[in-house]
Amino acid sequence: MRSVSTPYGRARAPTDAGTDPSGDPYLRTRFALPSRPATFLRRQRLVSHLDQALSTPLTLVNGSAGAGKTLLTADWAAGLRLPVAWLTVEAGDHRPGVFWAYVFESLRVCGARAADAAGARAADAAGAPADSSGVGRSLLASLAAELNARDGPVVLVLDEYDRVAVPEVAEQLEFVLRHSGQGLRLVLVTRTEPLLPLHRFRAADELTEIRGAELSFTPEEAGALLRLHGLHLPEPAASALVDRTRGWAAGLRLSALAARESTDPERYLKEFEADHSTVADFLLAEVLKGRTEETQDLLLRVSVLDRFCPDLADALTLRADAERLLAGLHRENAFIERLGHSWYRLHPLFREILRAHLRERLPGAEAELHLRAARWLRRSGFLPETLAHGAAGGDFDLAAGALVDDLAIGQLFTGLHSDALAQLFAGMGPEAGSPASDLVRAAGALARCDLDHGLDRLRRAREQLSETDDSPGPVAARLSCTLLEALAARLTGCTPRAEQAAATAEELRRDLPDHLLDEHPELTALLMTHVGSARLWEGRFDDARAVLRRAAGAPGGSATVLPRVESMGHLALLDYLNGWLGRAERRALAAVAEAERAGLPRPPGAGLGRLVLAAVAVDRQELGLARVLLEETARLPAREHDPVPTAGRAMTVSRLLLDDGETDAAAEAVEPTVSTAVASPWAESQAAVVRSAACLTDGRPDEAVRLLQGVGGDQPVCAVEAAGIQVAAGRPRAAAELLDAVRSEGRTGPAVSVGAALVRARVAQESGDTITARRLVARALLDARRERLRRPFLQAGGWIEPLLAAAPLHELAEGWLPSGRRQTHGEPVQPVADPALLVPVELSGRERDVLQRLARMMSAEEIAADLYVSVNTVKTHLKSAYRKLAVNRRSDAVRRARDLGLL
Amino acid sequence: MRYEIRIEGHLSETLANAFPELEHVVMSGQTVLFGTVIDEAHLYGLLTRCQSLGLHVMEMRQIPE
Repeated sequence: MRSVSTPYGRARAPTDAGTDPSGDPYLRTRFALPSRPATFLRRQRLVSHLDQALSTPLTLVNGSAGAGKTLLTADWAAGLRLPVAWLTVEAGDHRPGVFWAYVFESLRVCGARAADAAGARAADAAGAPADSSGVGRSLLASLAAELNARDGPVVLVLDEYDRVAVPEVAEQLEFVLRHSGQGLRLVLVTRTEPLLPLHRFRAADELTEIRGAELSFTPEEAGALLRLHGLHLPEPAASALVDRTRGWAAGLRLSALAARESTDPERYLKEFEADHSTVADFLLAEVLKGRTEETQDLLLRVSVLDRFCPDLADALTLRADAERLLAGLHRENAFIERLGHSWYRLHPLFREILRAHLRERLPGAEAELHLRAARWLRRSGFLPETLAHGAAGGDFDLAAGALVDDLAIGQLFTGLHSDALAQLFAGMGPEAGSPASDLVRAAGALARCDLDHGLDRLRRAREQLSETDDSPGPVAARLSCTLLEALAARLTGCTPRAEQAAATAEELRRDLPDHLLDEHPELTALLMTHVGSARLWEGRFDDARAVLRRAAGAPGGSATVLPRVESMGHLALLDYLNGWLGRAERRALAAVAEAERAGLPRPPGAGLGRLVLAAVAVDRQELGLARVLLEETARLPAREHDPVPTAGRAMTVSRLLLDDGETDAAAEAVEPTVSTAVASPWAESQAAVVRSAACLTDGRPDEAVRLLQGVGGDQPVCAVEAAGIQVAAGRPRAAAELLDAVRSEGRTGPAVSVGAALVRARVAQESGDTITARRLVARALLDARRERLRRPFLQAGGWIEPLLAAAPLHELAEGWLPSGRRQTHGEPVQPVADPALLVPVELSGRERDVLQRLARMMSAEEIAADLYVSVNTVKTHLKSAYRKLAVNRRSDAVRRARDLGLL
Repeated sequence: MRYEIRIEGHLSETLANAFPELEHVVMSGQTVLFGTVIDEAHLYGLLTRCQSLGLHVMEMRQIPE
């Protein structure tokens, strides 16, 4: 590999704060103030006008290509004593996430923003966008607040802003500008009118505007500019030239260059004035004609490139003279601008015209030039540029090969460039047949959740790879393959396949250089997350936790933010399933916060975090909050085929429905919607408990008990709830057996101990041992209070209420456990404690019939048979009776009806 | 829909080739590009192309089929 001096300043350490979220180093030249050439003419009237930019929030420098906007602004900005953040916008920045990532970085580079600002974690580029598709409002609000708190303003210049054409970005810019107060002065340098509401800024005197007419050269200025080029023209000649070029900076510069080469410049310019050709077109052709054949050839060929260095230019011309030619062109300030080190670019206007010349002079050469550039860029380690030119040249095997060999395939799933990469490879045709191309196709399909195509492509890639030897290229491809295997395993719920992938990856890593792996931390982090998700699905909680912890703590800053957030969401679910409410909540909140800090607009992993928060809210009986959280997650795009979040959602939704008294809907919500290779013990147990509880509420205790078959002690939380159902169904012995089978081993949390204590308390209470019952409930209250775990008490049924209402338990429940549905035996009746009692209840005859049978522990089916009606009719009567009695479950209904003397 | 775009000055053949989808004719100090424009996006694209080539658009109008 050749070592190339570049202006890109490639930092190789992935945790460097100067890496963008995909792990690609920022292109330093984009944050540098463009240098002014020796022939630059400072025009004081414009500089003075621009000084007003310091007193208005928004400044617009608006003019056609080659009007001299950029140099004017750069010259002005260079003289400021304030911090100036400069960003040259590029075409790829039209995605809001990418755009803002570069804006954040430009503010950091100029020192206006510390890397660990806004309370974010230090060092790893936190508090910056990490997803290409968008940026969350909270992140922009925190940026604005940070700018607003500054003592003096920072000047943010966005050069070539016309390349951002999406209204979303304009809206976001206005939002930040509005909320930054005196802390931000925004200068937009653009060819087209930006989509901001300029009239409003204008009306409020908050806009400094320099437009095309003002940028035009006056005859005096034109004369001065030509003198800088060594041409001394009399006033009328300069005036005529200004008329001909409309005072256009690029036109004046080109005419100076063209005239300088003729023997009689003044006469040359006279002829040009009389000519009717279009200005830039004609002049450029003239200047080009004056160069040597080699120079012309060089200029035409490099017009396919954004930037170039002599070595890259040589790769396009297949000669070795670029260094000398470029130095010469730069010296005479014709066509090219120097970016620093030995990198150059063509002036944007000239580049477009040169490309038109290229197409005419070397028809059909463009594709080949792109491919030569791609090969050089790949050799030299410029991945994004390699991909762009490979695709432009139509060689997708080359592009896919570069992506895979670089271990960058994870970037299709996470980071700033995932959208752009997906779009780039969307143009891939069937002719691309390398294993790398199939891997990219598989990754694209899996990222889109197109499981069938994804698995098919993956199989093809695997077959091709098994036939190759063990050189480093195929090793990288095989490692990429394991990532996709792990994802496929996760999505199909096939843990053995995930384990196989993880083991293979571990072996392959030894054959790869460390720096490759370090540069792409997202590959490892994604792989671990998928393996962890698969293990969690299979119920191997300890193994899942081990790998998920590593993924959640993965290095790489924003490059790995997506897998980190997903892993944290999984860890939160794990804690919840073990009965640790508080821990689950803390982890879920951390996952949500991490996603917001990275500005992820619709993070799948944070969706899991919110689900866990909703599940915790249900257990705390904060049902309104749970509903809000579930609605939020419903708006996030879920991976449809992802078993763990799908089951987590089904569990939470069904438990909420259960507590709302919607038993049928609860049983329906818990039905599995994803088919998986391996069954998930916790998902099945949770579903069984929900179905069983629904049956019990509907008055079918035998059916409820039958549904509990298969719920064992290996799922402590479920087992404890199942035991509660057994007791309620009048089977204390079965309940005790279940509780004895619970393997707690210290890893289960309060949800288990509280539930178990309550089951035992009920058994004791029903056998007349009130003292033991009270002792056990007291212990449960102490355990539950810290976690605000209310569900086991509020959904326990009538037996517990006398206990809770009396001292000493009353004190333990005081303040956190609402007494709304509790009876008040042994205490003075407080009317507000049970508002339902105030309303006279009248049951219909049928409703009373049904309730009477319910009190005899008959199931809905038995009641239906007894009354010669359908089961549905019985349910309708039950629901109506429940509503009138303001209760949600059978036992409460019977008790309430008895209390009211209705039975 | 058919459009014509009037550009100031005589356009060289080379640069006219940057608009392969349009025909062009040079007349009295102007170049007229004309032809079928597919949709709005194409229309704005043509304007942007003019701008990036440093061309001065005098007039742009839809012409009857």
